[in-house]
Amino acid sequence: MNICYKRIIYGALLLALFALILTPGIVPGTDAGFAMAADEVQVADIAADATVADAIATDATVAPAYPPAPKLTAADYPTIKGINSRIVVWIVAQLHLWFAAFVLAVPIFVFIIECIGMKTRDQRYDNMAHEFIKVSITAYSLTAILGGLLVFSLVLFYPDVFRYMSTIFKESMFAYALLFFAESAVLYIYYYGWDWLQGGNKKWVHLTLGLLLNAVGTMLMFQANAWVTFTMSPAAVDAAGVFNGDVWAAIHNFLWNPINIHRVVANVAYGGSVVGAYAAFKFLSAPNKEARAHYDWVGYNANFIAICALLPLPFAGYYLTAEIYAYSQQMGITLMGGVFAWLFIIQAVLIGTLFLSANYYLWCGMGRSDGANRYYPYLKYLAIVIVGAFLVWFTPHTLVLTNGELKSLGGPYHEYLGKFGIMPAKNTAVNIMILFTALSFVFYRRCNKISTVSWAPAGNAAVVALFVAGIINILILGVYYGYFTNTVYKVAASIPQVLTTLVIIVTALTLDSFMYKGAKEVAPLHWGRVSNRSQYALFLLAVAFTWLMGLMGYIRSGIRQHWHVSGIFRDASVDAYTPDLSFAANTVSVATILFMAMVIFVFWLAALSTRKTDASKYWMGQKS
Amino acid sequence: MKNFLQVVTFSLLVIASFAAYASFGIPRIKPAPPPVEEKLDLGAMTMDQFIAVGEKVFNGKGTCTLCHNSMGRAPMLDKVVSISDSRMKDARYKGEATSIVEYIRESMVKPSAFVVAGFGKAGSNDSESPMPDVSGGGIGMSEAEVLAVIAYLQDLGGVEVTVEIPTDVPEESSDDEEGDGEARAPYESAEAIIEELTCGMCHMIGEEEGEMGPDLRTIGALRDKDYLRRAIIDPNAEIAEGFDADMMPDTLGDDLSAKEMEMLVDYLAGLK
Amino acid sequence: MSMTKKRLIPRLLQFALVIAGVYFGFVLLFDVILGALIPKSLLSMYMFFVIAGTFMVFTCTEESAREMVDPIKALVEDPSKKIVRNIVYAVLPLLAGAYIFTSLQLSFEAPVELRSIHPAPPASLKAYGKRFDLATLENPYRKLEKSDPEKFKKLVFEGGEVYIKNCQYCHGDRLDGKGPYADGLNPTPLNFQDVGTIAQLQESYVFWRIATGGPGLPKEAAPWISAMPVWEDFLSEDEIWKVILYLYDYTGMRPRSWKHE
Repeated sequence: MNICYKRIIYGALLLALFALILTPGIVPGTDAGFAMAADEVQVADIAADATVADAIATDATVAPAYPPAPKLTAADYPTIKGINSRIVVWIVAQLHLWFAAFVLAVPIFVFIIECIGMKTRDQRYDNMAHEFIKVSITAYSLTAILGGLLVFSLVLFYPDVFRYMSTIFKESMFAYALLFFAESAVLYIYYYGWDWLQGGNKKWVHLTLGLLLNAVGTMLMFQANAWVTFTMSPAAVDAAGVFNGDVWAAIHNFLWNPINIHRVVANVAYGGSVVGAYAAFKFLSAPNKEARAHYDWVGYNANFIAICALLPLPFAGYYLTAEIYAYSQQMGITLMGGVFAWLFIIQAVLIGTLFLSANYYLWCGMGRSDGANRYYPYLKYLAIVIVGAFLVWFTPHTLVLTNGELKSLGGPYHEYLGKFGIMPAKNTAVNIMILFTALSFVFYRRCNKISTVSWAPAGNAAVVALFVAGIINILILGVYYGYFTNTVYKVAASIPQVLTTLVIIVTALTLDSFMYKGAKEVAPLHWGRVSNRSQYALFLLAVAFTWLMGLMGYIRSGIRQHWHVSGIFRDASVDAYTPDLSFAANTVSVATILFMAMVIFVFWLAALSTRKTDASKYWMGQKS
Repeated sequence: MKNFLQVVTFSLLVIASFAAYASFGIPRIKPAPPPVEEKLDLGAMTMDQFIAVGEKVFNGKGTCTLCHNSMGRAPMLDKVVSISDSRMKDARYKGEATSIVEYIRESMVKPSAFVVAGFGKAGSNDSESPMPDVSGGGIGMSEAEVLAVIAYLQDLGGVEVTVEIPTDVPEESSDDEEGDGEARAPYESAEAIIEELTCGMCHMIGEEEGEMGPDLRTIGALRDKDYLRRAIIDPNAEIAEGFDADMMPDTLGDDLSAKEMEMLVDYLAGLK
Repeated sequence: MSMTKKRLIPRLLQFALVIAGVYFGFVLLFDVILGALIPKSLLSMYMFFVIAGTFMVFTCTEESAREMVDPIKALVEDPSKKIVRNIVYAVLPLLAGAYIFTSLQLSFEAPVELRSIHPAPPASLKAYGKRFDLATLENPYRKLEKSDPEKFKKLVFEGGEVYIKNCQYCHGDRLDGKGPYADGLNPTPLNFQDVGTIAQLQESYVFWRIATGGPGLPKEAAPWISAMPVWEDFLSEDEIWKVILYLYDYTGMRPRSWKHE
């Protein structure tokens, strides 16, 4: 009887949640499926109209009339004395984005970790997942506060922009607001119900809640992405900005999906790096050996998540860039060849920093087992290749030359280094860098074990052959197709390169897991036996990631140049000019510091809940 | 606490080094400012701003005050709005306007529709106006600018402004990325220059018989090229006897290219 | 952990040797063997990451890290190394001072000017009294390559004539940017044989650059020190399109295009 009663409650709960999520979905233009259905209905309607009676007004007269994009003057932008509205909106939006990325990413890997815990029945995973979600709870309310602040700043400083956007996206914005109820409800139940929903069917319910949380979160982000990409690649509007009423087309604009993919992957990598920094700090200030071991292990897992998402990230980035080019050559060249060209050198340096520090963390981590001695001699070769690939990667297309060098070289093009400046070289380099990072990971996995399967030598030979063949393939694709064919093939060659890399990584790791199934442990893995230096690599990862995201936010917004909505809604404010890189870097730095301060506050809050002060003497009727 | 400070210091150093690299490690390029938009932001304009635009066009680009001034070359326009009605009823009126706005508009683009007595072209018995079409060639006012000038004239005349601010006028010379303004085709001949700059309004030259400035039909016999060039670029440097200073616009030197200037000077010097 | 064996070369010295070796390796490779010097700005960035990478390898195990740090610690703390310490303490500030002194020295070299070689094009371009939309502009003759190869060949030949009469003085008869006048120009004329030039661009872009020349460069590409003339004044629209055909034909490059062949 009791069990039955509970099941009914769970079922009702789940149904209610589904209903919550689907309600906004019914509003046109919030969900792919529904909107497409709506489209079909509309098409059918029009067809029916046409056949039944031509005289019936077409949908042009039925459709609500939308205003064109306003043409503003500097006077239309309210100002508050002593406050630069652009910088306010910039920093608030960036902070909101960082927190949102973190808050959306954490449930993704909390869900995965919970699954792993369920599968392995290792409670450490469950505890870790619980701890992660605890950190993200406080961050969640900060995200909402910053989101509110962002809307206020937009309404205050850019009222016409906000009005224009909200006339087009009114349904989607309303749905977005409603969806927050679902997000909050699921998140709180997921977190507060963690200890309640344990074991058996209850665990399954909890896991379902985790899945729901991610579904709602992703939906939220996709909607916000639609507004952003609309300003870059407006759709469903004419040249004057008059909206044709097709909300789904406005949402599903040219850059929507590329940004969606890029952001989901980047969020996971970012969330992993922030949680890694949290674990690193806990590790450094751990009071005892057990805590050190625990946080070493947590930090390792967080870093693992970050690296897993980091590996495909450059490809998502290339896809986005290619789509920007395809959308508008002018936007593409503004992005890559104009003022922002140097930004990509900074980006390359930062991504290199990410890869180097992630590798360094793995190498240091090998010291957890004495068995790693067998692999140390190889590390220098890994380092040579990774650093070498990285050098190719950030060699700029336009070299900074002194006049003497210019004369000596006979022009701004370097006969040899110039070849590193273009995309095929960089694609090749990044693929190799990723492959060798994966190799670092393979070494790390093997450091405390020795394979006992009979086919181990053959397996090793296969892995080596796989890597060698793959690298040769990548080089041929990069060098032959990249330099000796035309653009279509140049760009197209990057796809098999990526596929090669992914195939190698997946196959090598699968093979490896079979080879080391039941492997003999040569030396135990001592969690906690890792240098403090390696923890700083985790901090570097988190800080570099945060800063890099800020910088890329600047360029994503910057390539619109002096437009609120690219090409149709001009920015007439005094701040319509594009700020230079140095200014942007300083703004991003300030924002990063603000973000760090807030994150420290969030972490401190998470630790606060476990602190207790004994005040039994204070209260009446209690004896000490 | 020591750990905390170390970590914070480390992070700040990392951020500082990124910022320093972005500021000093790579060359600084100042992005070009947004292109200057010449077209009027009509959608976001109040009537007062629109009238201000009209005033600016009237005194500047429109070159209206060159003639419509106290020198008596053309009628004064401060009261034009209040007498438009009587003009439209006049027997000599050849236009089709039915309202004040239409009448003024017509008089700007088809000036000969009504010529005020005494202001017609010499010899035309006030049937033909010496005024050029403001929307064409040399002046090139846009539809919006014409309306802005009408709004200004209504305001000047102290009547209610009935012009509506247009919202969707076709834009000429739209977003010009180089921001070099409208580039006109170079003039082909000195005759074309004289025609386009309406020199004959004031000077006697060719078929034209203006009387405000010196007779140019035989100017080449009297003046050398240097004098002519200076007289075009800086008209007030030396005033011919019997004529007033400040009559001739001093912007011609800016409007003509060096080649065109020489073409014009050669032509004038050849008039003997 | 305790198997610190005596090394032939101390770890710290190894570290220094590796870095010096890479540095001189770069200089040797580019300046001497390849004969195309490596720019200082790039070399310093390269070296920064080489040092970072070397540091990573040398400090990733505890003992190696200790071996790196110990000599430095000893230098600072060990009483028996007093003389060496004093020398180092005296020399280091002097070196730093000398570095700063030399880097603050005024030189007669003109400041580095950075030019954006492929500045972002405008959305449209005014030439020949009309407006070209750069996003959709195509070479009208390009399609003949497939449909009428004979005619195309003839057009390429005519383009070659235009090139030899007008362009080769600077860009060279082999299109390598080494024409007879090239030495007198700074920036030097573009080398069309380089994969980084016309092969990266659409034909509309090349048309824009030829038609409006140096003076037509957008502001971000300033300073306008390019000597490229405004060819709109000298060549017909037709001739520019033909010369573009020739540029690609001679160098064997393909214009950037999103169409499949």
